[in-house]
Amino acid sequence: MGEMRRVPGGVFQQGTPEWVLDWLDDADQPLPRLWFADETPQFTAVVAPFRIDRFPVTVGEYARFVRDTGYRTEAERRGFGLVYTEHGWVERDGVTWYAPGGPGTGGTEFADHPVVHVSFTDAREFAAWCDKRLPTEAEWEFAARGPDFRIWPWGDEWDAGAANTAELHAGPLTSLAAWQQWWRVECARRGPVPRTSPVGAFSERGDSPFGCADMAGNVYEWTSTSSRLYADTVRCDPTVAMAMGRYRVIRGGSWMNFRYQVRCSERMHGDPGGWSSFAHGFRCAADL
Amino acid sequence: MVRIVVPTVWTPQGRTDFEGSPGPLDEVVRDFVARHPEFGRRLLDADGAPLRYVNICIDDDLIPRHLRTAATVGPDAVVTILSPMAGG
Repeated sequence: MGEMRRVPGGVFQQGTPEWVLDWLDDADQPLPRLWFADETPQFTAVVAPFRIDRFPVTVGEYARFVRDTGYRTEAERRGFGLVYTEHGWVERDGVTWYAPGGPGTGGTEFADHPVVHVSFTDAREFAAWCDKRLPTEAEWEFAARGPDFRIWPWGDEWDAGAANTAELHAGPLTSLAAWQQWWRVECARRGPVPRTSPVGAFSERGDSPFGCADMAGNVYEWTSTSSRLYADTVRCDPTVAMAMGRYRVIRGGSWMNFRYQVRCSERMHGDPGGWSSFAHGFRCAADL
Repeated sequence: MVRIVVPTVWTPQGRTDFEGSPGPLDEVVRDFVARHPEFGRRLLDADGAPLRYVNICIDDDLIPRHLRTAATVGPDAVVTILSPMAGG
C-alpha cells in the first residue's frame, strides 16, 4: 500500500535559521516574527535510515482500509466535521473522509486525492493496518529537504506551480483579507469543499530531494511527535506555548496556505483528541 | 481579575492579553465576546454557544470538552484560548 522512498539516515540542523525569520519579517506577509519562533533555534538532529510514503495517503487507500476493517473515523462517530466556510470554521453534520464538504460531496473523482477529516488516531490506525507508522517530525523534515537547509522541497525560490497552495488558486496573496475574498468567491461557486489535488500532480517539479511529493501544501500532515519547543529559552506565542506537551506536530501546510506556511521547517500543532478538518491528512513511514 | 489569552494573530496589533470576569466558563467566554465582538466568530457558533472544537485552558489545565459546561473560572485565573491547530 503506497509507494515508499528510502531515506538514508543523516545528521542535520532541524528547524529554521535566523536568516529565514529575517526574511519572513521583511516579506509582505501578515504574521509577526513571534508566530514563527517555535521553529527555532535550529538544533542537531539525527535520523536513522527509514522509508516514507512518496505521497500522502489517498481517499482510495483509506477506503480499502475501511472496507477491510470496518473502521469508522472519529468524525464519523461524532457525526460532524470541520470545514471552513465564508464565515470561518464550522462544524458541519455529515462531513467525513468520503464526503469532505458534507453530504453529496466527494465521490470517485477524489480517489487519488489525499484523504482528509482524519484525526491523529484515525491516521495511526491506518498506519498500523498496513504495518507502517506515522513519521516523526525529524523524519518528516529530513525527507522534505534533505541534510542541507532549503525553504521549500525544491529549493529556496518560490514556485507557485510546484505545490498546491492558496497561491496556486488565487495568485500571490499577502493578507488575510485577500485570502478571505478568494475563499468567499470559491465557496459561492463550489461550496466549502477542499481544494486538494491528486497526489503527485506537482511531481517532479515540487518533489523533495528524496523524491517525496506534496510535502509543501495539498494537505497538512500529522507526525507522531509530541509538540515541544526546541529550547526552553524560546519565547513564542503564548497559546502555541500552551500546546506544548498537549498537541502533536503537524507539517507541510496545505492548499489553504500562503507560501510561508508550506516551508519545510514550518511547524503547526494539532489537537490529537479526535480533531480533524477538511485540510488535514497524513503519510506513513516505516523502519528499514 | 481574570486574564484571557488569545493567539497573537487574532488582532492586527498582536495583542494577546485581555481582562475578563470570573464565573462559569461558558459565561466567561460569552462575556469576553460581548466585550470584544471581533472574536465572536472564533469563539461562538451561530446560536451564540461556545464552539467546542476550540480548546480552553484554565491556568495550566486543559478543560476536556465534556467538562466545559461545569467548569468555573476563579477570580485570578488565566484562561488561554487554544485553537485545535496552533501556530503556523
